[in-house]
Amino acid sequence: MFDIIIRSVTQRKVRSGLTISGIALGIFALVVMGGMSENFNQTFENSMSLTSDKIRVFAESGMFGGGLTDDKVPDVKRVPGVKDAYGILLTTFDEDQMGMSGKQIFALPPEKSRIALKPVKLKAGRFLEPGDTYQVLVGTSIAGEYDLQIGSKLEIHDKNFTTVGILEYTGSFFDSTAAIPLETAQDIYDLEHSLSTIFAIPEEGIDADILAKRIELSVDGTSTLSPSELREQASQSLLIFSVITISSALLAAIIGGLSVMNTMLMSVTERTREFGILRAMGAETKDILLITLGEAALLGIIGGLAGIGTGSAAVYLLNLWLSGKGIILFAITPRLLVVALLFATVIGMLSGLYPAYRATKMSPMEALRYG
Amino acid sequence: MGDIILDVRDVSKTYMQGKIPVTALHDVTFSVEKGEFVAIMGPSGSGKSTLMGIVGCLEKPTAGAVIIDGVEVTSVSDRQLPRIRREKLGFVFQHYNLLNSLTALGNVDLAMRFSHVSRRERLERAETLLKKLGLGDRLNHRPTELSGGEQQRVSIARAMANWPAIILADEPTGEVDSKTRDAIVETFKLLRSRGQTIIVVTHDPDVAKNCDRVLRIVDGTIMDE
Ligand SMILES: Nc1ncnc2c1ncn2[C@@H]1O[C@H](COP(=O)(O)OP(=O)(O)OP(=O)(O)O)[C@@H](O)[C@H]1O
Ligand SMILES: [Mg+2]
Repeated sequence: MFDIIIRSVTQRKVRSGLTISGIALGIFALVVMGGMSENFNQTFENSMSLTSDKIRVFAESGMFGGGLTDDKVPDVKRVPGVKDAYGILLTTFDEDQMGMSGKQIFALPPEKSRIALKPVKLKAGRFLEPGDTYQVLVGTSIAGEYDLQIGSKLEIHDKNFTTVGILEYTGSFFDSTAAIPLETAQDIYDLEHSLSTIFAIPEEGIDADILAKRIELSVDGTSTLSPSELREQASQSLLIFSVITISSALLAAIIGGLSVMNTMLMSVTERTREFGILRAMGAETKDILLITLGEAALLGIIGGLAGIGTGSAAVYLLNLWLSGKGIILFAITPRLLVVALLFATVIGMLSGLYPAYRATKMSPMEALRYG
Repeated sequence: MGDIILDVRDVSKTYMQGKIPVTALHDVTFSVEKGEFVAIMGPSGSGKSTLMGIVGCLEKPTAGAVIIDGVEVTSVSDRQLPRIRREKLGFVFQHYNLLNSLTALGNVDLAMRFSHVSRRERLERAETLLKKLGLGDRLNHRPTELSGGEQQRVSIARAMANWPAIILADEPTGEVDSKTRDAIVETFKLLRSRGQTIIVVTHDPDVAKNCDRVLRIVDGTIMDE
């Protein structure tokens, strides 16, 4: 039957082309929006897995206002079950863009850079070391954007820093991070003794959620976020992307589905005689269904492939353009492509159901009387 | 006397034209023997196509029974009908009704697609049939590249493809010139000589005179034989 299906699609080129474009448009939107959502999911997942072992400690009144200070670090470290603790200062890298690019300054005690960034590996150079001042360790996105090599200069807050290390690509926020010594940062940003967060690393076999509570109780004026709490908070904000993806999928379904249904109804009505002939020749209901649903599915598949093709190309070009600005916004994942293609096929077939049903109800007498 | 291959008993057919019943056939009874070449004649609107549709299992009669090759086809379930159409019946239509997207070979092949015949055998059978009907050099032509007579012979080959018990032809020469008509009649005679039962609806006395028997139908009733 497959040749018959293909013929009925290729015979009506303009109409099939328009229908396919309708589906392709929907799937295009799905791929682009889904690609954005996938990128955020990926970055989130990678970031989570790279920092999952650490408890975050904040000033009770919040991340900024109350002011977390250096002297809390020893207090945290003293809590039983805490293996190590260190304070960091987080700020935006591109102050003029108000942090829009997502690039950040990660200021930390140089001797902790190895633990803080674990398990990220170095692509070149070294981690920060005690005694470093105006030295910087950068992620791949920053290195790429400013074309940094070991020894290159990088300007941060009007000061010149020397690149001493470049991190491997991680697909997480580490890629757009520049790590500098904590004291240098406190100095140049005029934030003596201030910290954004204290990271606490639990000892082997200690439950992070319980330890987080213990820190909160034993160290005055702190609140904590355990890895599982952090994950929960962050997934809320990812929801918006799922909503965007689902909306574009719905849009795809409606645009594509209606155009397939319209085309199939026309095609089925036009072929009243043809279906009559097939029935007169002994075609079963299932044969008629196979032919009509097959045609609808084929329209869906071709449209889906076209949408995936153009969508991936658009995403590729956008990524290429944006990566010059150090931003990666889209990720085309295999699962996204599989879902998009399946979705297109299912839309095609669902929209073909009613026309197919109509085709099976056509009387074979038509062939005789009007033949 | 040969075997009866078709038995039509008291068949009536009433269509509803909106709320008004239209009687297309009224108590039609006749039978056809295996290997007979029968013509059905009658004025326009007398019920010839309706009769062909009922005998061909395309429609059910309002009353009466049709028995083909020992099977009472009017009482089998709708699900069984496609199989009966495939196995017992072959149709030839006035307008040929070939699919323009398929070649002559493809059109004949199509008739066998719905039964479990392997592709190789289907093509072999289609080719043999077309050759037998004098279309050996037209196998890969599309209907638009064939003359009316050639198209009708392709559709006869298609009707023959499943070795049906009966071939039903509704005005098969309605659209062609006399030379082509004669060729089509010769084709039917060839099939008859091999034992094929053929029922043909025609307005043309020159077609009817080649038949073994003529059934006349007027206002849905068989007049005489
Ligand atoms: N679906 C239908 N609904 C209502 N009336 C119908 C229907 N089909 C056929 N008829 C009527 O039944 C009668 C017989 O029609 P039929 O097509 O069998 O005639 P026919 O002998 O084949 O005529 P022709 O020589 O013109 O082909 C006609 O009066 C026709 O109008
Ligand atoms: Mg008629």
